Amino acid sequence: MTGFVHLHVHSHFSFMDGAVSLDALVQRAKRLGMESLALTDHQGLSGAIRFYRAARSAGVRPIIGAEIVVETAGTPGCEADLPPAERLTRPHPAGFGRASAAGFHLTLLVKDLTGYRNLCRLLSAAHLRSASADDDAGGTRSVVTLSDLHRLSEGLIALSGCQRGEVGASIVAGVPWRAKEAAARLARCFAPGDFYIELTHTMTPESGDHLRSLSDLARSLSLPVVATNNVHYLSRADAPLHDVLSAVGARRALPGPLGRPNAELYFKGASEMRRLFSRYPEACDATLEIAARCDLDLGLGAFHFPVVELARGETAYSVLSKLAWRGLEERYRPMTPEAVGRLQHELAVIEKLGFPAYFLVVKDIVDFARRSGIRYSGRGSAGDSIVTYALGITDADPIAHSLLFERFLNPERRQMPDIDVDFDSARRDEVIAYIYKRFGAEHVAMIATVNTMTAKSAVRVAAKALGHPQAEVDAFSRHLPWTSARKIREVLETYPECRNHPLRDARHELLLDLTEKLDHVPMHLGTHLGGFLITAEPVDSWTPLQWAAKGTVVSQYDKDDVEALGLVKMDILGLRMHSAISQTVDLARARVGADAVPEPFLLPRDDPKVYDTIAAADTVGMFQLESSGQRNLAMRLQERDFEDIIAAISLFRPGPLEAEMIVPFIRRRHGIEPVIVPHPGMGACLADSYGVIIYQEQVLQVVRAVAGFSLAEADSFRRAMTKDRSRAEMESLHGEFVRRSVALGCTADVAEEVFRQLQGFAAYGFNKAHAACFAVVSYASAWLKTYYPAEFAAAILDNEPMGFYSPRLVLDDARRHGIEVLPPHVNASGADCGVEKDGRAIRVGLKSLLNMNARLLRAIVEERAVRPFDDLADFLRRTRAEIDAAESLIRVGALEGLGNTDAGRPPTRDEQLVLLPELKATLTREGSGGERALLLAPSHARPPEDPSHPSGWSVARRLGAELELLGLAVTCHPFDLARDDLTARGVVWARDLPACRDRSRIVVAGLRERAQTPRTRSGKRVCFLTLEDPTGLIDVVVFPEALQRSGETIVKHRSYIVEGVLQNNQERGIAVIADIVRPYVVRASGGTPVRLRRGVGTAPMGPFRGSAGHSDEQEWEAAESAATT
Amino acid sequence: MGNNAAIRRFDARKAGQPLDLFESASRLPVVLELLSTPWLRRGSDVNGPARVEVTVPVEWDAERGRPGSFLRKGKRYEVDQVVTQWAIDTRWWDRDRAVSRRCFRVVARGGVYDLAYDRLGEQWLLVGVID
Repeated sequence: MTGFVHLHVHSHFSFMDGAVSLDALVQRAKRLGMESLALTDHQGLSGAIRFYRAARSAGVRPIIGAEIVVETAGTPGCEADLPPAERLTRPHPAGFGRASAAGFHLTLLVKDLTGYRNLCRLLSAAHLRSASADDDAGGTRSVVTLSDLHRLSEGLIALSGCQRGEVGASIVAGVPWRAKEAAARLARCFAPGDFYIELTHTMTPESGDHLRSLSDLARSLSLPVVATNNVHYLSRADAPLHDVLSAVGARRALPGPLGRPNAELYFKGASEMRRLFSRYPEACDATLEIAARCDLDLGLGAFHFPVVELARGETAYSVLSKLAWRGLEERYRPMTPEAVGRLQHELAVIEKLGFPAYFLVVKDIVDFARRSGIRYSGRGSAGDSIVTYALGITDADPIAHSLLFERFLNPERRQMPDIDVDFDSARRDEVIAYIYKRFGAEHVAMIATVNTMTAKSAVRVAAKALGHPQAEVDAFSRHLPWTSARKIREVLETYPECRNHPLRDARHELLLDLTEKLDHVPMHLGTHLGGFLITAEPVDSWTPLQWAAKGTVVSQYDKDDVEALGLVKMDILGLRMHSAISQTVDLARARVGADAVPEPFLLPRDDPKVYDTIAAADTVGMFQLESSGQRNLAMRLQERDFEDIIAAISLFRPGPLEAEMIVPFIRRRHGIEPVIVPHPGMGACLADSYGVIIYQEQVLQVVRAVAGFSLAEADSFRRAMTKDRSRAEMESLHGEFVRRSVALGCTADVAEEVFRQLQGFAAYGFNKAHAACFAVVSYASAWLKTYYPAEFAAAILDNEPMGFYSPRLVLDDARRHGIEVLPPHVNASGADCGVEKDGRAIRVGLKSLLNMNARLLRAIVEERAVRPFDDLADFLRRTRAEIDAAESLIRVGALEGLGNTDAGRPPTRDEQLVLLPELKATLTREGSGGERALLLAPSHARPPEDPSHPSGWSVARRLGAELELLGLAVTCHPFDLARDDLTARGVVWARDLPACRDRSRIVVAGLRERAQTPRTRSGKRVCFLTLEDPTGLIDVVVFPEALQRSGETIVKHRSYIVEGVLQNNQERGIAVIADIVRPYVVRASGGTPVRLRRGVGTAPMGPFRGSAGHSDEQEWEAAESAATT
Repeated sequence: MGNNAAIRRFDARKAGQPLDLFESASRLPVVLELLSTPWLRRGSDVNGPARVEVTVPVEWDAERGRPGSFLRKGKRYEVDQVVTQWAIDTRWWDRDRAVSRRCFRVVARGGVYDLAYDRLGEQWLLVGVID
């Protein structure tokens, strides 16, 4: 016999113990003429489905398997019961994260579907043995028990494992009796002939002896032998990468805990393997025999829906049909023939494709949300369907907005529909709990994501492996942009912010080499934000399960794997805007009455005042409309109706941006250039977008109108055009389109021109249904901001992090709308922000304060309900506030004005701070705070900086404390303190920019809110800076040349003076084109620098405060300190 | 092979058995089995082989994927058998201490030698003279 099949192979999906991609493995097997190939990653099947698909499409027969950790078999008792010479060293943990386990290895291969299901069950049982994610079940979590192995071995073939298997390890350790015992016991778990002694030639001086011993052992037990190479990488040159991964996976520097002696675990060819095992040809023959016995058919292409409860005599279709017709009656009053015809058509297609049960599952879940008052909205291409609209899953009328069902569900392509629903994130857990209850916990699991390495993480991995100290590792990864590791050298060479990066030192060549090779290597499994898998059979018969960090059970498969298996996946996503909208409505109804505030999702979307607000670019906080790009677009577009909101959401997307659709759209809308289309049918389809193809649905309409394709054919045509096609395939599409167009009476020239335009735009169009679903939420948020700005701002602040801007800016925006900002106070604030003075003031809440905790927050609210706090002592006595929390409260003025000193006035903040430890000590000692403690106000508190203010603190100091402890500027905007200085420098304020002349030279100043650096079409980097001054927002564009000069300043500072040229025209909107960006230090009167430090990275109680570049916070702080001293 | 067949076949009771066990023409298979048997330790293993490290010209037998012969002190040593082979690849991250070798323990002219191909230096070395 010749030939060989690798049956013990690790890939990247062995997470930090495999240095080869699945595609590379499959391609190598194909090139070497191997008909089959196994994949046996550690402790799971995360790569199995994609391997299965890749191998089959390459013509290689896939063998799915796993290298599991199994409990000790060779000795009945504890290892410690054995004489020292016979004890085995427990192998280092295999697997990663919560799926890792220390113990002996066993290689399992799947013979058939029964074996596949049993392997899933075996792995799930091991991983979920512990009661929770943080419990390791006495070290047995993720270890397969012998009883489970015995129970679930049908359809599986076992190989005794590498030198970290108990059999191999016993031989290496010179304990042959134990090897024999372990082999015999493990073999008894499997059907006769299904257990093999695994021979791996490790190419060490001793490996010959080990192979002989193993072979003798197999003979003595009448077990067959099989040869493997325990493949971990493709070629010898890849071994260093494997060393790096395994060392860092074990949290060590090189050489790591395994200290492999050589680079022989590579993918060897058949002849090389046969030569290595020349004394054991039967071991190589066995690989072929095993491969022939493994014939797994996963039945890809079939769909498996969860069980839907149906009344007797009903089918999923009949129930869906009834519900849809009922819903249609409510949605369309009066009912129209178009709606009736469309619903009939869609229901027929859904029935034909076999998807009624899927729609019923989604309907069931959203019905629960509606019953429970949980705000939700469907999104994505599901909005193209009248069925989802009638069922109440989506809210945008598909007929009114020309949304096409075939874009969602193409009868020509039988593919599982995907309905995504966003739920109020504050109440998403209730929905999840319902799903578990409704379908059964054993039928539901979350979906995994595979986290891969970027430049930052790859640099960290390589640096750790090479033994750099932690501080250096941090320094290496800091200031690297989020880019692929493959581009690390280019980034270091060309990015201005990396000009002085330590990795530019020539000593780090090896580190950079490794970093490049680590590009996109999977690191570990994560949990999908909201993806759930729901199955009819127990979910562990479809996928291995394991614990996720949050204590949820997660599948080892990602969404693509789940889709490939034909299982039902639901995205239960949390949307904080829903929470903010709900909270705004609650606050508004509490103030003006429940009847006075309508449900914002049900409003007619035609309020001119709302569109005025949007067109004025006054959109901070609005869903999907608030980014600097959208504000710029709003100034140019001047939205007037709901279709305009849909267009705005669609235009500012990567595809339309790349295709530069905005400029012709704006020019044609304002009549600057004429609308010219090559075909009248095309003109009718593109009337709403002035002849520009923005939406994917429009591509379908144009293809139907010009070439007479059915919508299903048109969707297939669109999909074909958007994929990478060979020249021949594109020519074929082209020929078909022109031929059918000409057949309909179109001239060849016109057909060619239409095709050219379709080709140019088809790949960049946006799904209109998705935009329309979002636009419903956008309009609701815009309406609330227009009519209830204080409530809206308070709700946005309470639901951070969300949106585009930091909480500080949201509060500043409210102040610019004339809303007073009141500081937090223990006698007035709750956990959340509140609205006072009949909607004209926001009271900052306490939950975001640094050092605040849930217990104290509860105590404050409960005690205040009894009676207000009198003074600091009273507060401490009644709430038992921790000293650091009390200090934070004092510093932000939350205890201002309480009590009296012997000077007959409330104590200053300094006096309270001095008193605080004394009072805490008294409380601890005596159990009470001293009734008249404040009358003994200490004389050693420093004299007030500002005697006119009750706090005794200067404005700069108060502001600094607010920014540090709340992340908010409560007292005033920081630049208010520098108005005189900035005016003297000729700075123009944001609110005055619209009145300035286009192309005039200008100086502006502001705090950095966002800095984005997308690449242009030419591959150069442009920085879009969003700055804020006390009067509004300023958009600054820093082109590559200026970025070279100012890149480092932008990264290392947070307030700037920008000199440049103003762009102010309807075509392009308002922006400053920067020549130079200089740092600016805000100084209070007297020259004291104001620290803009944000200390509330993660307030224990509250949200993450702000999202603008927080990872570099410490570095900025250091740079700022350097600049201010 | 594999069951120490050559050792078992060796007739130790033959009349006139010489004192030197390996003087017979059939000694090579016995030597090889003794060298590879796990239950017997070599005297040189106890004291350690004589370690050397000299460059030697080696003729590669491409067909069998092993050294065919090597030249030592002016004499050509034909490789009768490869006893065992191993590989070393360590400390690749440290240029001064990196080792990358493919080693062969061979029987030649009645002696046992360790040959190593040094991948970094791209040369053959004689790294051990066992007997």
